Amino acid sequence: MCGIAGRILDRPGPVGADLVELMQAQEHRGADSTGFALYGEPRAEGFVVKVFLSDRGHLDRSLVELHDLITDHGGELTADPTWDDTGQSHVFIRLEISEPVSPVARWVDAADELEGVEIQSVGRSLEIIEDVGDATEVAAKHHVGEFIGTHGVGHARLATESTVLPTASHPFWARPFPDVAIVHNGQLTNYYLQRRRLERAGYRFTTENDSEMIAVWLSDQMSSGSDLARALATSVKTLDGVFTYLLSTADAIGMAKDRLAIKPIVAIEDGIVTAMATEEQALRHLYPEEGETVNYDGPGLTRVWPATTPATVAT
Amino acid sequence: MAGHDPGDGGDVTAPAHSPAAGTGAGAGTEEIVEVGHRPIREVNADIRKAVARGSRVRVQDTLSRHNLGVALPEGADLVFEGSVGYYCGGLNNGATIRVERNAGWGLGEAMASGVITVDGYAGMAAGASMLGGLLHVRGDAGPRTGVAQKGGDIVVEGSVGFLSGFMAHAGRIIVLADAADAAGDSLWGGEMWVAGNIGSPGVDSRIVEPDAEEVASVEDLLSSLGVGDVSRRWKKIVSGQKLWHFESRDAQAWLMI
Repeated sequence: MCGIAGRILDRPGPVGADLVELMQAQEHRGADSTGFALYGEPRAEGFVVKVFLSDRGHLDRSLVELHDLITDHGGELTADPTWDDTGQSHVFIRLEISEPVSPVARWVDAADELEGVEIQSVGRSLEIIEDVGDATEVAAKHHVGEFIGTHGVGHARLATESTVLPTASHPFWARPFPDVAIVHNGQLTNYYLQRRRLERAGYRFTTENDSEMIAVWLSDQMSSGSDLARALATSVKTLDGVFTYLLSTADAIGMAKDRLAIKPIVAIEDGIVTAMATEEQALRHLYPEEGETVNYDGPGLTRVWPATTPATVAT
Repeated sequence: MAGHDPGDGGDVTAPAHSPAAGTGAGAGTEEIVEVGHRPIREVNADIRKAVARGSRVRVQDTLSRHNLGVALPEGADLVFEGSVGYYCGGLNNGATIRVERNAGWGLGEAMASGVITVDGYAGMAAGASMLGGLLHVRGDAGPRTGVAQKGGDIVVEGSVGFLSGFMAHAGRIIVLADAADAAGDSLWGGEMWVAGNIGSPGVDSRIVEPDAEEVASVEDLLSSLGVGDVSRRWKKIVSGQKLWHFESRDAQAWLMI
């Protein structure tokens, strides 16, 4: 029983603060860890890279290794790296880099060789922020409430099939597809079957979490000519289990629900401005006045909510 | 009977006028309980105190919160002035409850008696495992309405979602519009009445013609709710009774989803 939520604004705004509200209101669904996939102002080129380092004591060495990795693949740092000052034994690093010559998959795979390093997300606008603790704790540690952006998704995790670690937290990045992330409430029963197919196609996985596989599976569909709506619909037939997930991309949030429809999702849709959450009571933290809610209660439902980007906002 | 304690920290607006002598401290009066972001245990305690005083209770600022108005006794009379979350009216034991907007999942779960009315939509599993009483949804109801129902009546003026009536043992689910797929799946002994279309019947269910006496009973109930219409052509879904003698070697035959 996890809690998920999404938020879309019609112009850059306090999407981080909104998602913290939505996730803290669902803290009872799982307070093992909380995470956010947030979309800020997109770059024309280059990426924001979020990195998990398991041992803060190795920070200096790892920063050098990451710098060398990026330059080895034809990119460079475009800003000084930053990292959290929480004092926890692990540390999250944020890099801004120019466009490497190598494809994303190549340098991300190469990062697997760095001790204690895990690439959390790569995107022109995507930044994944996650840690152990409830939404308020994670927001305080990583300043989530200050994030300005157009849209994002959040997750409150009740660990069921893997351990409580920052790296087992949602959202998961759809490695190696920039700007694609997932939050998921449920369990797949044909996870290994689908994962093995993707591995045979050359994909590498950071975790053994079924949610990560869904994100990669959908991205693979979209890279093979499908659009988000069709990929979502196909997933309902292909993925077996009980699930409701939100897949976020640079310009949309998609939702799919399994054929047994046991995992809730409710939305308030006001033009492009949208909020969706596992529980309606969470939405009411953003919308205290009664309004129209859309209950996606039925089996096999899918939905795509388009998200604006700063580049498309009329001034 | 519990008296009102103005120092209890609750958010109850006491009645402005004096109650009639000999009929309880608040009999015949109306009290307001605010929900907001207060702890639900505290809200429910305030509701129970007001009920004990014999007051009709109007619950405001409900914010779709969960577990409101559970396990209330006979004589309780509540109105929720907004939407409620999960399990509203659960374990109801004779109370009359009205929700003026929507209700979340598990409305009236395991209620034994009383009446719950929802003016809007009721989420999944409304009336799950209910034992008795009446659940009346004026809009649509979600999937699994009346799942494992063991008695009482569920009336839905709109449509119900898929797998409604799943494994119901007793009682009636009466649907004035349509029923989605897998209607009455694995019914054990309950009945599902549908005036509109049935997406598909569930496994081990049969659609039969109700007799005149049964129709009259249903229409009497609907008339009492102000929605009687004798011109309806009812379809009644009952158990096929094959699963009563389930044989594990035949399990594959029952897999539909």
